[in-house]
Amino acid sequence: MAVKGIKTKDKHIHGLAKLVGGQRAILYHKEDLVAYDCDGFTIHKHLPRAVVFPKNTEEVAKCVKYCATHNLPFLARGAGTGLSGGAVPLHNEVIISLVRMKNLISVDLENRRAVVEPGFVNLKLTNSIADRGYYYAPDPSSQYCCTIGGNVAENAGGAHCLKYGVTTNHILGLEVVLPDGEIIELGQNGIPDAPGYDLLGLMTGSEGTLGIVTKITVRILKNPEAKKTVLAYFDNVTDGSQAVSDIISAGIVPAALEMMDKTAIEGVEAAAFPVGHPKDIAAVLLIEVDGIAVGIDEQITQILDVCTARNVREVRAAKNEEERARWWANRKTGFGAMGAISPDYLVQDGVIPRSRLPEVLERIEQISEETGLRIANIFHAGDGNLHPLVLFDARIPGQTEKAIEAGSACLQACADVGGTITGEHGVGIEKREEMRFVFKDEEIIAQTNIREVFNPGNLLNAGKLFPTPGRCGEVKKEMKEALLAQ
Amino acid sequence: MVKQAEIKENPPCTTQKSLSNYLWKDHPDENKWADCTHCGMCLESCPTYELTGQEQHSPRGRVHLIKSVAEGKIAVNEQFMDPVYTCLDCRACTTACPANVDVGGLIEEARGQIRQSMPLTGAKGAVSKLFLNGIFPHQNRLNSLGGALKLYQKSGMQKVIRKSKLINVMPKHLVEMEAIMPKVHMPVKKKYKNESVIPAKGTPKGDVALLTGCVMDVMFSDINEATINVLTRNGSNVRIPQNQTCCGALHVHAGDRDSGRKLAKQNIKAFSDAEKIIVNAAGCGCMMKEYAELFREVEPEWHDRAVAFSEKVEDVSKYLYDTGYEKPKASINKRITYHDACHLAHGQNVREEPRDILLKIPGVEMVHMPNADRCCGSAGIYNITNPEMAGEVLESKMKNVPDDVDMISMGNPGCMLQMAMGVQKYGRNQKIVHTVQLLDWAYQKERAEEEENHGSEGN
Repeated sequence: MAVKGIKTKDKHIHGLAKLVGGQRAILYHKEDLVAYDCDGFTIHKHLPRAVVFPKNTEEVAKCVKYCATHNLPFLARGAGTGLSGGAVPLHNEVIISLVRMKNLISVDLENRRAVVEPGFVNLKLTNSIADRGYYYAPDPSSQYCCTIGGNVAENAGGAHCLKYGVTTNHILGLEVVLPDGEIIELGQNGIPDAPGYDLLGLMTGSEGTLGIVTKITVRILKNPEAKKTVLAYFDNVTDGSQAVSDIISAGIVPAALEMMDKTAIEGVEAAAFPVGHPKDIAAVLLIEVDGIAVGIDEQITQILDVCTARNVREVRAAKNEEERARWWANRKTGFGAMGAISPDYLVQDGVIPRSRLPEVLERIEQISEETGLRIANIFHAGDGNLHPLVLFDARIPGQTEKAIEAGSACLQACADVGGTITGEHGVGIEKREEMRFVFKDEEIIAQTNIREVFNPGNLLNAGKLFPTPGRCGEVKKEMKEALLAQ
Repeated sequence: MVKQAEIKENPPCTTQKSLSNYLWKDHPDENKWADCTHCGMCLESCPTYELTGQEQHSPRGRVHLIKSVAEGKIAVNEQFMDPVYTCLDCRACTTACPANVDVGGLIEEARGQIRQSMPLTGAKGAVSKLFLNGIFPHQNRLNSLGGALKLYQKSGMQKVIRKSKLINVMPKHLVEMEAIMPKVHMPVKKKYKNESVIPAKGTPKGDVALLTGCVMDVMFSDINEATINVLTRNGSNVRIPQNQTCCGALHVHAGDRDSGRKLAKQNIKAFSDAEKIIVNAAGCGCMMKEYAELFREVEPEWHDRAVAFSEKVEDVSKYLYDTGYEKPKASINKRITYHDACHLAHGQNVREEPRDILLKIPGVEMVHMPNADRCCGSAGIYNITNPEMAGEVLESKMKNVPDDVDMISMGNPGCMLQMAMGVQKYGRNQKIVHTVQLLDWAYQKERAEEEENHGSEGN
């Protein structure tokens, strides 16, 4: 039966529209769908079949059931800020957008937990409880706009994960719609460490391939009593990297330990939130310590000493909260800021042992020379999580392919020193092939077998996270063709 | 991912052999979207994204669509028009954007293309034409409309405004002030028709020219009068060039860039002698600072003149703040909250200056408004063309207005009308005032008190 106001012959659009309350909760015109052809990873673009906007878990389950019954590929999407293409509809999927499920359901300060819907924006949680002295720790740089549902899917990290852990360390319970439409609860009542397999852990970071999260119980933390932030400028990257290692070796666990190199500094200074970093320095470190007030000053003194021993040019603590906030805005908008110095960028997400930082950075510089593309480095130095940003111009033929190569070579460099290919951005479609740098075919099959248990028809977010074993060459060819077809 | 073999820097669309679906000159500027990396930092700043949750109603989604038309992926049609015209043009995204993408500029350029490809028809077209071409550029017609009430009757907003009787816009209940409130209803442009300059009181510090505006001078001539008072009081000789006209902002917002250019040229000529051009309407100030954008491709010979003109344009609050003004001695014992007009905060980065003015008035107690720089939904004539969305935007704005304040101060006439409607609609009792009005009242009260003291001394 046709739904009022919907102008298409596609019966599934009518079918889905009925489940979500009519024409205001579904998109199907090409002009609207184009806005959904990619997420924060813009290299692969594919049109979805439709986008539906359910209001609650029941509507999500109905849409999922409909797709399963009619054999329609589908996937879930939050704010679409993911950096590995996890929400790109490779197979003309029906996108189930969760942004209208954006309520803060409850806050339980006594038990330090909160329940949110998946479309609730990360920073809004902290903003809602800050006046009572609490906050939500995982702080990806996109926290101004990314959703907690998306954070769960990607097991998002952030600047302060060095001390406080990534998203998975803060999830106490999930309500999930399985790919057949069944609604299940994991970690009931938000009690941590339930007996049995750690399904919460499995679901967190599964990149939307095992189910759709519709309700999340998260841990919230009391604000640290004191917090101090230091900025340190180095004339060479090796000194900066050594300082990072030395700080951790000294037994200090900073809340955050961030680094930007010269090209990255050029970007953030040319963009909307400059702080006046000197143009000629090789690296800037942003170091934050927090905790009980006693001892903070001592830690700061230790950090200053370490930096001095490593030939720091200038090091100073933030004068006040306003300065601290400016430093962080400058750092956290770093990726987007690259738009000010380059039309396109591709961000990578390798992880390495901290001690190998100088040599990997050297290798990245080589890659930049080999490909002729500039590479900026913004990274969570404290936990060895690198973000090389390959700068390119998609309008110049061949540059996109070169950027992909350069990105892949950076990940190879990470894997070569015993690191891995993603710290927090996820694999998505971007790093499918690079999974082979760290997993053997059998290991990949073992993991896709787990996926089969939850998602047997592979209708939910197919083509993400894993390469197809044994078809490495074909997949590469497919990717190239897909690229050319755009 | 890009179909064109090669794109030269900023080519004129009409001469380029490309797949672009923009058919007219003055097409959306490729250099503007080249800055966008699709990071999404703009999403939460956007009122229409907040309300719909839909990507095509977000800043980066709109940029993506505008770019997709240039790449030949989609056409300029009704479906493309919807997101481009649903934008409030509030510019909150430009504040949020790490890469300074000029989303507002792109939207206006895209609207220019849409308007030429698909001229307005039906009711929307009639309303738009009535306002944009029939009224705003014609001072005498505006005057004969006799102010906001009649103007709004024509637009169907009569009911709401009738209840409010527009009187809510003015702090009528403030008896102490009413006695000294200027009872000016004649447009100041007409009033000072024969005066080449309104001289500064005391030693002159500088010369300024005042944009009286189209709607402003009819509906809010008392604000223009207040602006003249505070400027002369603080040492400025004020001129009101008689050849000036509507700034063209509403035309450009609506996609009528030809009319925008016509009005811009007239103003550039009218203000050619001015050292400073003072504006008390945020929307006009923002437009006048962006005149050069209109002459990027069409009539480029005007481009440099437009740049020179724009450099002289300044909001009255910023001018007062920068050049210094006298702190009033009389008190206004009121609790006041401040609403950032989008085209002041996001458009001109004027945020602290008006707050400073309010704080310097003795007795004023400033109350913080959460999300003060969130659009109220007025957005030029948006509240006329997109009443439903404008209503929803207004609703979320009103939720942020603190309960226990006497007045809401701001620096834009469009916002004043919209917020007055909000006050009326949601049963609130705040009075809506322009920032310079408050300063002027404080000065007037000061003078009245002085006179009274002199009088009593005399007795």
